Amino acid sequence: MSSYLSIPITAHLQMEITNLLNMEAYYLDNGKYKEWLDLLSDDLTYRMPLRETLEGVGANNVSKDASFFEETKKSLTTRVNRLYTKSAWVENPATRQRHFISNIMVESTKNPEEFKVRSYFLFKRSRGSTHDIEEMFGERNDIVRKESNQWKIASRTILPDQSVITTMNMSMFL
Amino acid sequence: MIKKTLDEKAFQLLKEKMEQGLFPQWVLTDPDIYELEIDKIFGHTWQFLAHETELKDSGSYVTRWMVNDPVLLVKNRKGEIKGYLNSCTHRGTQLCTADHGNKKNFTCPYHGWSYNLDGELIGIVAGNKVYGEEMDKSEWGLREIPQVASYQGMIFGCLDPVAMPLEEYLGDMKWYFDILLGRSDGGMEVRGLPQRWVAKANWKATAENFAADPYHVQTTHRSTVELGISPEDPLYAGYGHQIVTENGHGINVITSKTGKARVPYQGTPESMWPMFKKNLTPEQDEILSGVTVFVGGVYPNLSFVSPIHGTEGHLHNYLNFRMWRPIGPEKVEVWCWFLIDKAAPEEYKEAAYRGYLGSFGPTGTLEQDDTETWARIVEVSKGLMMRDKELNYNNVSNYLMGFDRVEPDESFPGPGIAYPTTYLDAISRSMHENWFKLISKDLFVKEAVK
Ligand code: FES
Ligand SMILES: [Fe+2]
Repeated sequence: MSSYLSIPITAHLQMEITNLLNMEAYYLDNGKYKEWLDLLSDDLTYRMPLRETLEGVGANNVSKDASFFEETKKSLTTRVNRLYTKSAWVENPATRQRHFISNIMVESTKNPEEFKVRSYFLFKRSRGSTHDIEEMFGERNDIVRKESNQWKIASRTILPDQSVITTMNMSMFL
Repeated sequence: MIKKTLDEKAFQLLKEKMEQGLFPQWVLTDPDIYELEIDKIFGHTWQFLAHETELKDSGSYVTRWMVNDPVLLVKNRKGEIKGYLNSCTHRGTQLCTADHGNKKNFTCPYHGWSYNLDGELIGIVAGNKVYGEEMDKSEWGLREIPQVASYQGMIFGCLDPVAMPLEEYLGDMKWYFDILLGRSDGGMEVRGLPQRWVAKANWKATAENFAADPYHVQTTHRSTVELGISPEDPLYAGYGHQIVTENGHGINVITSKTGKARVPYQGTPESMWPMFKKNLTPEQDEILSGVTVFVGGVYPNLSFVSPIHGTEGHLHNYLNFRMWRPIGPEKVEVWCWFLIDKAAPEEYKEAAYRGYLGSFGPTGTLEQDDTETWARIVEVSKGLMMRDKELNYNNVSNYLMGFDRVEPDESFPGPGIAYPTTYLDAISRSMHENWFKLISKDLFVKEAVK
């Protein structure tokens, strides 16, 4: 039994957090990266470990030492600033992308201001006039926090379901 | 089968154009050429498999691919590294599908045959009852990769049992590997599993992009100039030397306008410098102390880069090896390893890893833009004008940079043919020559004999 008083997850709270994640997806899908950064807390940790194929039932297949992202708000800001230059060719011409976020589950934590949020993502991307449709899918484990009346993402761990990524690069944020 | 579509005339024309520093566009993604490459290049050259630090203990294993050949690489009880075809000798089932792990033996999920770390068949379910006494288990061990050898911790395999030994194949590149991999006590170590992703590209183009093309840096990676990270001078990645070594290998030693990097020893902690000096010859030390970026390749499909990368105001150096596994004329599965000096301080290793993630690999801001240009090459390669083997439209790519114009710099302290600039197509041309030598070997002889 946990020793802290868990805060009930009301429909209202669930809706507020769902709105946060939907707003985030909207910003990312519309190139509003600076607005996206405003949804992230200053002490953010943003990670994306590799998935491994391991033998054994129930083996933890999240890599302990290899990643695609190990970011802070500062390093994400550098990545974002680059996307506003004229010569970040990977996004100039811009790709079209959608983040489909679903299966949002909210849990309380010891800190009454912070909630654990699990969500699924399906990312789709179209580039130029090519016929390929690129996709990636997986799960995200976030900590969200209310800071002076605004919801912020304080931590995110992205778990891709592929061990070999099939998008031709990973210029996207997930 | 191949003879039907690849005639001698086209090859003759190809050879003529290559001698003029031109490379016909049709060969890049031609499906028949691709089949020839798999057979004649990848079937006979040394391919990178793993670094020794990926196999720590007895029983440690990793699974790898040599194009389409599945490889099970294990460390046996004697501490030797063994490479087997990852396919059960009973009916050919892939034996192990995990990326890595540690085991005493490997059991096939189909009928249960099992093999030990030396590849010997040690167990057959209901053995004697179904096969009788005449079945000799020693004949049914895992098939070994014909040659497995390592240099400076880098393990390579070769499918050709009579190909020249690895060290001879690497040739003068060994001298540069000694700098990259041997500068520190204890050598380098790999962090985690390599990142893997599928890029839209032909393997020749990606190998060339890394091994031979610092010229692309000023435009492909111009966003770093816009951000104030790289200098405005369009020649900035051209200062230094391009060195052509044997068998299609090569390395670029990029310095800066002054001939020296902004920071000595690639921004590594000063406490490590005496160790570098101790482990290197004076000539190697001279190069390492003044380099900004080493970038190069081992033919056919291993490339490396050792840059200086700054995150959050600090400069870090790391070593990135990448293997381009062809999975079709227009696709490569990229395998990307991060290596760092075992002797480096832990915080340095961590910061260097973050620097790596910010620059190279699928999420690296530099590499993201590379993937765009690689894709654009293959996306237009199917046209009739591009595919015309008679070259009626003059669809030849330009490899004329420095051709017959830039002379080797005899004063360069390292081995190989060193040219005094890295904006040069000398390594590319050497890769092409080697490519031609390999794919045309015995190609038309058989026809004459018939
Ligand atoms: S195929 Fe492996 S035991 Fe039969
Ligand atoms: Fe590049």
